[in-house]
Amino acid sequence: MTTSAGMAWPGPDGVWSSNDRALEMARAVLGSIDAPVGLTPKELIWRKNKARLYRYLRTEPATHQTPIFLVLPLINRAYILDLRPGASFVEFLLSRGFDVFLIDWGSPGDEDRALDVTTLVTRYLPRAAKAIQRTTSSAEMTVLGYCIGGVLATCFAALYPACVRNLVLLTAPLDFADAGQFGQMTARGVFPVDRLTDTYPTVPGQVPDIGSKLLNPMANYVGTYRRLWERLGDPTFDVSGWQAMYRWVNDSVPFASAAFRQWIVEFYQENRLARDMLDMDGRPVRLEDIRCPVLNIAASRDQIAPRPTTSTVTQRVGSDDASEILIEGGHVGIVVGRTASQNLWPKVGDWLSSHD
Amino acid sequence: MTTEDADRASDPYETWRQLYEANERAWTSALEQAMNSPEFNESSGKMLETMLAAQKSVRESMRTYLETMNVPTREDIARLGELVIGIEEKIDQLADRLDGIEERTRPKSEGSAKAKRPAKSVG
Repeated sequence: MTTSAGMAWPGPDGVWSSNDRALEMARAVLGSIDAPVGLTPKELIWRKNKARLYRYLRTEPATHQTPIFLVLPLINRAYILDLRPGASFVEFLLSRGFDVFLIDWGSPGDEDRALDVTTLVTRYLPRAAKAIQRTTSSAEMTVLGYCIGGVLATCFAALYPACVRNLVLLTAPLDFADAGQFGQMTARGVFPVDRLTDTYPTVPGQVPDIGSKLLNPMANYVGTYRRLWERLGDPTFDVSGWQAMYRWVNDSVPFASAAFRQWIVEFYQENRLARDMLDMDGRPVRLEDIRCPVLNIAASRDQIAPRPTTSTVTQRVGSDDASEILIEGGHVGIVVGRTASQNLWPKVGDWLSSHD
Repeated sequence: MTTEDADRASDPYETWRQLYEANERAWTSALEQAMNSPEFNESSGKMLETMLAAQKSVRESMRTYLETMNVPTREDIARLGELVIGIEEKIDQLADRLDGIEERTRPKSEGSAKAKRPAKSVG
């Protein structure tokens, strides 16, 4: 029996096999909430409010002198760089002999409504850096920032150059003159940022999350499940890997309203950093004040930090040693995707070794 | 038609997949076009604003209700948290000052022997 379009009606076998796969799919999606992530052993060495600075444990002493300070974004969970064994950038850095530290911003509560980007850059990062200096007895460190964390790392490197030996930026949007669809969504007069931050002490994580998913709605809302459906039929498919990634994508963190407001107004709408107009605690934040070696890593198909937002930094910093790696892929895929361990990580590892 | 083809044809999800694949590009491009338009951004901004107005009104009513019932509101609890955060910041500032004093009074030879590179304070 066929439909008018020529497609066959399902027979009983087809229905049952599809039902089995549908149940498997539901189990994969629902089970992702407990997917084991961030398993590399670490110790807490400093804390302030919700922020935690961890040092990843090594079995042998580090072979490199310069510690690496990972600065994570505010709206995502920190375990993206230590997703799971075999798919962990942290694990890779440890295997290359680096001493690795990571700041996890935690999840802000209503009491953090006044916590802005300036406070994070001028009161949190310097103290975390000091804790690293104390722990390692090394005055300088490589600061590596991912996404918004890259923006924080850039501001920190501009304000506190003495302790930054190298700056590595991973898909960090710094110039918002052409910020793509995100820029249009958050434009002045269109996006009600004042009302949003006035209503919520912390902007729910779903707000930026929906914004980024709307950049490619079909792929994010339907394509994810279609791909899972297809891959469940493959016996070599690693369901736990998919679950870990799915968990991270949907595990958004609220944004303290003052930080969110500053992020949208001063960075997206007014583009103050790229226009040399950004001040933090009365001090000018200027890209030309960054004189340490800089490595900028950008993704060619990044919709969250589109190419125009990531492409100018190497020309704008005051460093003589500023280079760029452009990786084929998207915002998250280049960091934890299947090819990350073969493509991006070794390149970063080599660069870090040569700048120790 | 092979058995495998027949199985695939009888699978309802396979039918759905084919439908999706045949139309994905067209749907994506239509959505992209719609979402890149200023009208869409303006309209979603207005929609968000309306939802926020409703949310604010719910929050205000709840706060008034809790205050009438003599029950602490979220704001009251947040205020306590803010006080604790403020105290923590004051302690951090004191610690920074102590660090500064310690750094200035430490003999120079001790500092250079301990650090791998000449130490400069961050804060």
